[in-house]
Amino acid sequence: MLLHAEGITMKFGGFRAVDGAQLEVHEGEIVGLIGPNGAGKSTLFGCLVGDLKPSAGRIAFQDSDVTDRSPEEHARLGIARTFQVPQTFEDLTVLDNVMVGAFLRHRRASDARAAAEAVLAFTGLAGQAGHKARSLGTPGRKRLEIARALATEPKLLLLDEALAGLNPVEIRRAIELVRAIHARGITLVIVEHIMEVIVTLAQRVIVFNQGRIIASGLPRTVMQDPAVIEAYLGTHGRRSAG
Amino acid sequence: MTPAAVRVLRWGSLGLLGAALLAFPLVVTNAYYARVGGLVLLSAISASAWNIVGGYAGQVSVGHSMFFGAGAYLPLLLYNQWQLPPTLGVPLGMLVALGLAVLVGTPTLRLHGHYFSMATIGAAELIRIVVSNWEFVGAAIGLRGPAVSRTVWDFAFRSVVPYYYLFLGVLAVLLAVTWRLERTRIGYYLRAVKAGERAARSLGVPARRYKLYALMVSAAFTALAGSLYALWIGFVDQESGFGILVSVEMIIITALGGAGSLFGPLIGALILIPLQNLTNALYGGSGTGLTFLLYGGIIVLIARFEPGGLIELWQLRVRPLFKRAKR
Repeated sequence: MLLHAEGITMKFGGFRAVDGAQLEVHEGEIVGLIGPNGAGKSTLFGCLVGDLKPSAGRIAFQDSDVTDRSPEEHARLGIARTFQVPQTFEDLTVLDNVMVGAFLRHRRASDARAAAEAVLAFTGLAGQAGHKARSLGTPGRKRLEIARALATEPKLLLLDEALAGLNPVEIRRAIELVRAIHARGITLVIVEHIMEVIVTLAQRVIVFNQGRIIASGLPRTVMQDPAVIEAYLGTHGRRSAG
Repeated sequence: MTPAAVRVLRWGSLGLLGAALLAFPLVVTNAYYARVGGLVLLSAISASAWNIVGGYAGQVSVGHSMFFGAGAYLPLLLYNQWQLPPTLGVPLGMLVALGLAVLVGTPTLRLHGHYFSMATIGAAELIRIVVSNWEFVGAAIGLRGPAVSRTVWDFAFRSVVPYYYLFLGVLAVLLAVTWRLERTRIGYYLRAVKAGERAARSLGVPARRYKLYALMVSAAFTALAGSLYALWIGFVDQESGFGILVSVEMIIITALGGAGSLFGPLIGALILIPLQNLTNALYGGSGTGLTFLLYGGIIVLIARFEPGGLIELWQLRVRPLFKRAKR
């Protein structure tokens, strides 16, 4: 097992954003983490990448406890992530952005540059290598974030709403990229609130609502789960329909 | 312009600048102007040192006077207390500054933006107040260096020329170190931390540790600048060593030239220091107030029109004009 989270609880004051969540990710999987807005996905995501320390529970990555480790240690162990709102280094060039990631495994600048150029070619950003990150649009920035994360040579990549704000054509290109990353042997956890996208991409989905996991399994099965339908549409909608 | 032409232009202008700086004391023999030349180099050294942590790493320290002061005090303290040659105090001053950088940097670098700046002001002011009440280090009176050189280790000369070349050499070393940093992992990591600490950490950058490294390198060179100042002027007191204006000057010079660029601080010093001396000369004893006004005006202008400083003004506004003309 690659990642194993058990009994994750995150309290903000008296509010439990995540309440006893359990999660397993196996090597080579694409796992979708979905749920309506405010379900606690981002909080759980924060715990998994080391941004937040859960109030209770423990997280293990490849059998080592990472619950209290810093974000940079997560990166070193092989857990990479993107941000919901892209956090690209705006005044740095696209190549330099990716080189920052590449320096994690390549001490020398020339090696890091070569590694970064390979990642840029793989992600289709080679043409913009010399441009400042600020010159890219939203799709370009999201792609650059993925490229930068890939440059750290992760085993596990967590994408936080990597598709939000993209148009259908861009979504299709992004899905192709995710598949290509997966084909390289990288395990993926994708947080998304658009269900349609996840269904085509993920092998397994975990549905989150009000801080708890309410369903888990094959995308098609989960979509028909009454608890999931209730979470997305509400009980009121079902009553009036039925 | 072809890349080759750019390279020729860059190395050409660099060579010209170097030659002008080397030739300056030989051409300008007037003592007053030679002194201004020395001041320009000294300010360029301290501002370039500040630039490493303030410009590249984006951690705007307003407490660098504590490093400058440590560097300035130690040589003169050794001379005053034990009649030792002041030059012996130079490495000691750098060591004290390194210790201060770790001691003050470890807690304050956890803070971000203005909070870090304010914490550094607090630390520096605290040290200034302690120094101004401490008889052992000269309290409010300050410390004096040897009037005449006893041995070469006193490094006391009448003429500014030996100091000038010493300053030029130190500046060259500092710029070479910065140039090297820019191109290696630490340089990339510092710029990443400046651009976004959270994102940098997610890519495996140990942000706090690298900020501390930057502060330590910066502090050591700032202390060296302080030592050079003390060796040259032969006098330091709590205001000229640890005063907040010492820190502010480094920031203004760097911001004027271009923070986070190799030659920004030197360019800033080349403009600001002569200007400052001009206002002082014009208004004599009442000049200090005018210096503050000048600083304030420069801050407003840079913040409003060109936050990247003169280097960026050149790169973004002037160079494209040349390119267009060529086409």
